[in-house]
Amino acid sequence: MSNDVTCERLREIGAELALGVLPGRERAEAVAHLDRCAACREYVGHMTLVGDGLIGLLPGHEPPPGFETRVMRALEKDATAHEGDPHPRTVGPARGPVRGRLRAARLRTASAVAAFAVAFGVLGWAVGTAVENVTASPPASSSVTAGSRLLTGSLTSASAPARPAGDLYAHPGEPGWIYMSVDLADAGTPYSGQVRCTLERSDGSTVRVGTFALRNGYGEWGTAAPVDATTLTGARLTAPDGTVLATGHFTGGPKT
Amino acid sequence: MIFRDGRAISCRRRTVYKGVPSFRFPVGRLPDEALLAGLATGDPELAVTFVRRFQRTVFGVAIAVTGDPQLAEDIAQQTFERAWRHAQIYDSRRGSVTTWLTTIAHNLAIDAVRARRAEPVAPEDLDALLDAVTETPEQWALADEASSRLRAAVARLPREQGRALVMAGVYGMTARQVADREQIPLGTAKTRIRTAMGKLRGTLAAPNRGDHVQ
Repeated sequence: MSNDVTCERLREIGAELALGVLPGRERAEAVAHLDRCAACREYVGHMTLVGDGLIGLLPGHEPPPGFETRVMRALEKDATAHEGDPHPRTVGPARGPVRGRLRAARLRTASAVAAFAVAFGVLGWAVGTAVENVTASPPASSSVTAGSRLLTGSLTSASAPARPAGDLYAHPGEPGWIYMSVDLADAGTPYSGQVRCTLERSDGSTVRVGTFALRNGYGEWGTAAPVDATTLTGARLTAPDGTVLATGHFTGGPKT
Repeated sequence: MIFRDGRAISCRRRTVYKGVPSFRFPVGRLPDEALLAGLATGDPELAVTFVRRFQRTVFGVAIAVTGDPQLAEDIAQQTFERAWRHAQIYDSRRGSVTTWLTTIAHNLAIDAVRARRAEPVAPEDLDALLDAVTETPEQWALADEASSRLRAAVARLPREQGRALVMAGVYGMTARQVADREQIPLGTAKTRIRTAMGKLRGTLAAPNRGDHVQ
């Protein structure tokens, strides 16, 4: 096979490439072609969606009894093994080299674990102490308890306040966390770059909880954060120059 | 473009829950992406909710590929461990949380099967799985429109194309392995895989999207 895979040739092997069953050399040559052909990347992307869809057709199957508890214990063990790292974990769009992202994810994961362990005088993740109680309870309704209540709200663009620009979730558990999905593009602000998230409290004080990236106005992000349901009122997203891009209000929270 | 629950969507996805009360929101109703974020921060109740929500799907993929309950359980457990470790790299623009998890489970299962045996699947298992993919009443009832279209398209495939598709797409068999199993020329195996995938693509993608020849 020639090193120069044509588009016609790519169409012949694209299905196998998308399914991950193309042998090594052919795969390497096909990938090299994709590096320089956007249309074929799109074609293979569609084929990949078909492959994903095929897997999605597989029938579900209940795992053996006790599976849930074993998984939780494994997560506890994994968390304990990574405790002691210095940065809070965040969740958002993938960025940077994969290896670096994975390493960073592990670091951030462990740091959240460590912070929680310090706060409560225990080692490892809370799963260790909670797993027996939580997994022993009935599966459907028991997940909704007093400790699992969330604050929610909507983001609005600062430039077009009437148009929704995303959603906010804040969890006042231990540890607390926030999560947001942002779409400023629909509100006419296709901003790309870093944004700072600040939480607002009913007494007028604010707390910066972190920064994350938006691409063309779009992004998702979550992080561990101090969330007090009795005082948290809203959130604000600002550009590095201080421009307010969006604000959100937890309408069911404390009166302001 | 994103792919969500079998549907290709050519716009940005937003996790918008319009009309949902803004206070006292139960975790059982939390969007998958937000639940994943909660899992990442270490909330044990959210972690259990996450596992409960997806364990049936994840284990279903693992048992379909391996046919071995013990191995499937190991794979399903590894899938959740990877989700926990790598939630940072989840990108909702590339697919749903369900798709992300099933891809992880599928890859792990394929690797496990390849490591354990030279022959990826018994013939009777292959036909049973192809039937399950196309004829499971429960799946028909629960599936969204895109999944239903895809399932119908699989069902309409000539049997030999459907078998080649399942061998490659579910069991991870190369065209050479498909050819050996079906006792057909390699080129025929490749053609069956490509033709089947092309037909299914037509059910998901808009007409002419990606149809480009350099």
